[in-house]
Amino acid sequence: MQWMIIGQMAVSGAAMGFVYALVAYGFQMTYATSKSINFGQGELVMVSAFISLSVADMGLPYGVVVPVGLLSGALLGLFVERVAVRFALVQKTEGWILMTIIVGLFAVSAAENIWGKDERPFPTPISREALDIGGGISVTPVELSVALGVILVMVLVEIFRRWTLLGKAVDAVSADRDAAELMGISATNAIAISYALSGAVAALAGILVAPITSVGPTMASALILKAFSVAVVAGLQSGSGVALVGISLGVLESLASFYLGSGWRETPGLVLLILALALKPNGIFGTATIRKV
Amino acid sequence: MSKRLVTEAGTFALMAAVPLFVGGNAYGMGLLTLVTIYAIALIGLDVTVGYLGQINLGQAAFMALGAYASGLAVTGLGWSMAPALLAAVLVGLIAGAFLALPALRLEGPQFALATLSFASLVVILLNELESVTNGAQGLSLVRPLLFGLKLTPAGFYWTCLGLLALLWMGMRNLLSSHWGRSFEALRDSPIATDAVGVSVYGRKVAAFALGSSLGALAGGLYAFDFQYLQPDGFRYDQMVILLLGVVLGGRKSLWGAFLGAVLIVLLPNLLSSRPVFEAIAAIGFLASLVAAGRRWREEGGLPFQAIAPVVATGLMVLGGFLVQSLEDWRKAVFALILFAVVVGLPEGVMGYVGRTLVRLFGGRRRPLPPPAALDAVLPFQENHGAVPLAVSGLSCRFGGLIALAGLDLEVRSGEIHGLIGPNGSGKSTAINVISGLYPAASGVVRLDGRVLPGGSLTRAARAGIARTFQNLQLFLELTALENIMVALRHVYRLPLPLIMAGLGRREEATARSEALALLTLVGLGDYAGVKAADLPYGTQRFLEIARALACRPRLLILDEPAAGLSSPDIKVLIGIMERIRERRIPVILIEHHMDIVAELCDRVTVLDGGKVIATGTPAEIQNHPDVIRAYLGTIAGERAGGSETGAQPC
Repeated sequence: MQWMIIGQMAVSGAAMGFVYALVAYGFQMTYATSKSINFGQGELVMVSAFISLSVADMGLPYGVVVPVGLLSGALLGLFVERVAVRFALVQKTEGWILMTIIVGLFAVSAAENIWGKDERPFPTPISREALDIGGGISVTPVELSVALGVILVMVLVEIFRRWTLLGKAVDAVSADRDAAELMGISATNAIAISYALSGAVAALAGILVAPITSVGPTMASALILKAFSVAVVAGLQSGSGVALVGISLGVLESLASFYLGSGWRETPGLVLLILALALKPNGIFGTATIRKV
Repeated sequence: MSKRLVTEAGTFALMAAVPLFVGGNAYGMGLLTLVTIYAIALIGLDVTVGYLGQINLGQAAFMALGAYASGLAVTGLGWSMAPALLAAVLVGLIAGAFLALPALRLEGPQFALATLSFASLVVILLNELESVTNGAQGLSLVRPLLFGLKLTPAGFYWTCLGLLALLWMGMRNLLSSHWGRSFEALRDSPIATDAVGVSVYGRKVAAFALGSSLGALAGGLYAFDFQYLQPDGFRYDQMVILLLGVVLGGRKSLWGAFLGAVLIVLLPNLLSSRPVFEAIAAIGFLASLVAAGRRWREEGGLPFQAIAPVVATGLMVLGGFLVQSLEDWRKAVFALILFAVVVGLPEGVMGYVGRTLVRLFGGRRRPLPPPAALDAVLPFQENHGAVPLAVSGLSCRFGGLIALAGLDLEVRSGEIHGLIGPNGSGKSTAINVISGLYPAASGVVRLDGRVLPGGSLTRAARAGIARTFQNLQLFLELTALENIMVALRHVYRLPLPLIMAGLGRREEATARSEALALLTLVGLGDYAGVKAADLPYGTQRFLEIARALACRPRLLILDEPAAGLSSPDIKVLIGIMERIRERRIPVILIEHHMDIVAELCDRVTVLDGGKVIATGTPAEIQNHPDVIRAYLGTIAGERAGGSETGAQPC
């Protein structure tokens, strides 16, 4: 009985873990090209989810809702890059941390006024009926769709990076910005592309998670904290690292909320984070850079 | 009395006098008290955000910790105000150090994330530890007595103001001491700061803990001001507001923190009145239009920095016409104001005002003291009989690349020891390992017979190794004199609290005269007040040598000091080296100019492939067959026994 509960907790926790991993994966993309991340990414997830919800409310099918949501995420990512990041990168300051927080603040306020402060359910054609997968443990197709969607998009992004010219250009900028620019690659464009991709990935996270959590102005505030933890614990370099850490974190916190009480749900992530900082400050899968003089 | 002191004293006197006129207005008194409390929190936050240049998202959590520490000390233990506030400060210091120890090994976004996570953890703990904190229900308390006195609202305000004034003076003293200078230095070049024996990490942790304790003190006062606490009052929103206060007011400025506090307390009140909001929006819009127009005239184009504030303030003006309820859009208005300020006035309001004042009235420059006697600054090094530097079996590798394969090296007392070799032979790695920048894979370095701890620039520097860098590592924003003062570790002995109490002036004067003596030694006596960034290239190299000498080294390492120097400058360099030799300071000199090596060095060690291939006087080295082979390669036919590196002549 005990093991069955643990197994069940692990399965539903893992579904959330995939979402954390996906958002953290989005952080890695922009960090690779520009050493910056969007501190308002949670708001981006939320606004994309609201836009998708509005499209669904118009009566359009799921097959339209998802692409529109992804597109809006990409555009929002471009907007954030243009408005909040580019200027700070040109000045070589960390002003982007503050600027992206500010853009996020504006987004929350705008969303509250446009869509209201209430939590709203997100329609999905995927069934919420639990399926027994043996041993008394069940999983819903919605949870499965989260896992599949996340894996699919990670594979697609890898393909983009390895086998398309544009993807290789983005990779080149990540490896060495100056050398890439000398080869005629525009670093500014590569950074913009990475922000667009990161935005689309965040939007997908929003669309996948919305049927589970519902949609509201604060839907992503807890999610984003955990995505931050995952990114730091795994390190900002390794794609498979975030997946592993994300899933483990999802499982851990699902168990924590069961055994310690729902208020403690967030603690494993934060404790894990502080441990990782103390023991492996560059992340479990990250590499320390050698100081050069 | 200086103008600055008059302004500060005047402002505080004015602030103190306010209750005499509006003492009956409870609402006004509440706002005033809040301004002083936030000013304390912001001064603390500015230490990390401004002086350390790291975005800190944890200050709200330290306020929370301080608030609950003093709140619980009062409700649970029945303490009075002074010990309860002291408890808050201690909790802030300890928690600050606890967070800083791991987090400050990180930079930039990771540091921001670490502080953000700490902040969420604190709020969760306060919410969940219901038996202690009463959880989300909140903690009610009654304002305790201060030294047996029951404080009126005005009395409590004066207490807060008094604390603010004390902290203000303390921070002013601290920032104008070597602490303030090292904050500046570690932002410009952390490596050089470590290399002069001032531990970047140590300074950062101390500064962060100090800033956090101020946040906790502000939290304690906050608890006694509102007499009711809830964990959710210290969430993300509160943290954003604090950060905005520092940025709006202006970083790296006490006045900026004060102004920021006034703004974050007053803005929500101002914005709730529609005419005031519209006036602010219109003024902001016009100001950014004028600024944009000016840039257009001067530069013929409109950069993002000019357009963005116009758009942001324009949106505010437009919003004034379209929006029904401003209260609903408060966060958005906040965001727009901030956006306009962060982009348009990146140094904050005080940064802008300060620059304008300097332009109008000119900056102050303190007169220089007479230089100290050189013998006092840089004593002659007697020969203790021990070999100053003995390196044996040193090796170092990067992945598969073996950069040093068992290096043995000895530098004798008072000698200038040349270290030469083809590119990639391991010279730079050798001195990087000796000076502690890289850890050694194996081998021992002895300085004056004692084994050097490896892998730490700071510890090597404190043991007596000073170095310069091939690619200059100056503190560019500091003046030439200040560059040297950073390294004068032996002058600064006072602990931090005494410096905050204002007792550091004597040390400061000694440091200035000693630094001037060293500047004179390298021929830069006339450049004392010039910013290092504005010095000519050759002069910058000499400044680095003077800074290394300020550490009173037992061994001086010079990494290609003549690289890129013009021939007149090379003559100056040789003069400086002769003067260093007179003080009998042992030197390792890496140099590619063979004429300099031949002229200056007593002995020369030649490296190739990470190993020593020859040691001797310059004359012996010049004719050594292995050296010639390493530099020029072998002629086909006599290949046997040749060196494995494809060496090029330098």
